[in-house]
Amino acid sequence: MDVFLQQCVNALQWGSFYALIALGYTLVYGVLRLINFAHGDIFMVGAYIAFFVSTMFLSPEGMFGLSRETTLALTIPLTMILTSLVGVSLERIAYRPLMRKGAHRLYVVITALMCGLILENGNLALLGASRKTLPVLLEKNIHDFGGIAVTNLKLWVILAAVLVFFFLHFIVTQTRMGMAMRAVSWDRFALPLMGIPLDSVVVFTFILGSGVAGLGGMLFAMSYPVLEPYMGAMTGWKAFIAAVVGGIGDIRGAFAGGFLLAFVEIMVAAFLPSTFRDLFAFSILLLILWLRPTGIFGKPLTTKI
Amino acid sequence: MLRVRNLKAAYGKIEALHGISFHAERGEIVTLIGANGAGKSTTLKALMRLTPPESASVTAGDMEFDGISILNMDAHRVVSDLKMTLVPEGRHIFGNLTVTENLQLAAWSRKKSNVDEDIRHIFDIFPRLAERAKQRSDTLSGGEQQMLAVGRALMTQCSVLLLDEPSMGLAPLIMYDMFRTLKKLNADGLTIIVVEQNARLALQVADRGYVLDTGEIIAEGSADELLKKPEIMAAYLGA
Repeated sequence: MDVFLQQCVNALQWGSFYALIALGYTLVYGVLRLINFAHGDIFMVGAYIAFFVSTMFLSPEGMFGLSRETTLALTIPLTMILTSLVGVSLERIAYRPLMRKGAHRLYVVITALMCGLILENGNLALLGASRKTLPVLLEKNIHDFGGIAVTNLKLWVILAAVLVFFFLHFIVTQTRMGMAMRAVSWDRFALPLMGIPLDSVVVFTFILGSGVAGLGGMLFAMSYPVLEPYMGAMTGWKAFIAAVVGGIGDIRGAFAGGFLLAFVEIMVAAFLPSTFRDLFAFSILLLILWLRPTGIFGKPLTTKI
Repeated sequence: MLRVRNLKAAYGKIEALHGISFHAERGEIVTLIGANGAGKSTTLKALMRLTPPESASVTAGDMEFDGISILNMDAHRVVSDLKMTLVPEGRHIFGNLTVTENLQLAAWSRKKSNVDEDIRHIFDIFPRLAERAKQRSDTLSGGEQQMLAVGRALMTQCSVLLLDEPSMGLAPLIMYDMFRTLKKLNADGLTIIVVEQNARLALQVADRGYVLDTGEIIAEGSADELLKKPEIMAAYLGA
């Protein structure tokens, strides 16, 4: 039983990473009907930005030489802001011009795939193949809950994911911008007729999605401090699948899918040979899609004449 | 006020408008009538500055609003700066939003102080919408959706309203109601340009009309004149 509960905590932590990435997929898909395949690599970029920012602030030889606490407090917002800038730049440089020319969505999706590869290999070319290690930003504490050991970092990761969920839920359901995002997901054509600039809604969406992925990248790097250029690829794919299984376009789906995938993965690895992990995990997800092709929270689009 | 000169527009290589000219003055109801594929919707979308992939691109000619060319304007600016908007064919309401949310969203680019008051005003014009205020708008009937589409357009505080086939898919009684309402809005100062296949109905409320045929204007005149022309009657009014 203890092993099971212990693994549940691990699943919650991994689910948080998947959820934080899946959100970006789902938000951008909701607004643009575009699968932004560069998004996993935005997560990687977030981790690297966190590395550079925190190293700069923390290094005793550097001009700042700040304490861990201050560095952490500064690195979180800076990582989110800078990562959003990267996400917004991709939209501005790569996707928007294509969409303006009326390119079929498939071409934009392929462009997104290429952008991801450019981010990975650009990173490799600029920083070399040596792995980077994120400095320790949080003193490790282990809490014991009746035999289940939970590090403070794990708690923070899970808490961050939950807070992000409520924050985004609030934005989407309660704010004017969120209302516009929901409106675009239903009917892109009519939005400018309301006097709403579509570009602002799209940019806002990329800021949210990339910022959250940046936070995810940073938390991931704090939990597993070794950074490499391809770290976002597989995690990104998995998060995308999680978003689809949850019902892409719905933020509840991104969370449900993310935690579900992590739960299945961790449990398979815990009780079966770990080589079975992905095979089992994806077979189960395939089964879910087979039963519900639109995902757990997804609804098929219908129009009424 | 609105002046279109020699407008040509094309979907890719296929030209849909071969140089049309028309105008509308403040306070008028102008109608563009013609068969399917005549270029009526393309004309309205061009006026709204909708571009590919949503619509055709303008290849020649000019469009002026109060003497200023609007060729380089973005669609959302046409709404926010010129106070002109379109009720598109097929209505395009936001079905995943409630009726009230649809109305609130349309107030995006305007002064926010009296939004609630304006929503009440829309509910006065279309009492059916008030009954459905909290409902998701894709649960509305076709007629109610058309009311919402018009109400939503009015929420932008437009002074020029373009309507694309407002009678489409409506039962006759609801259709007459809708046109009576448009006539009333016009009496309160709203300029209306309406595209219709139901030419007789459109000419009954309009001041002037233009007849479009495969991308060209083949007749124009006051609504009464057009209703009396036998060749127009035969070709477009089904009489």
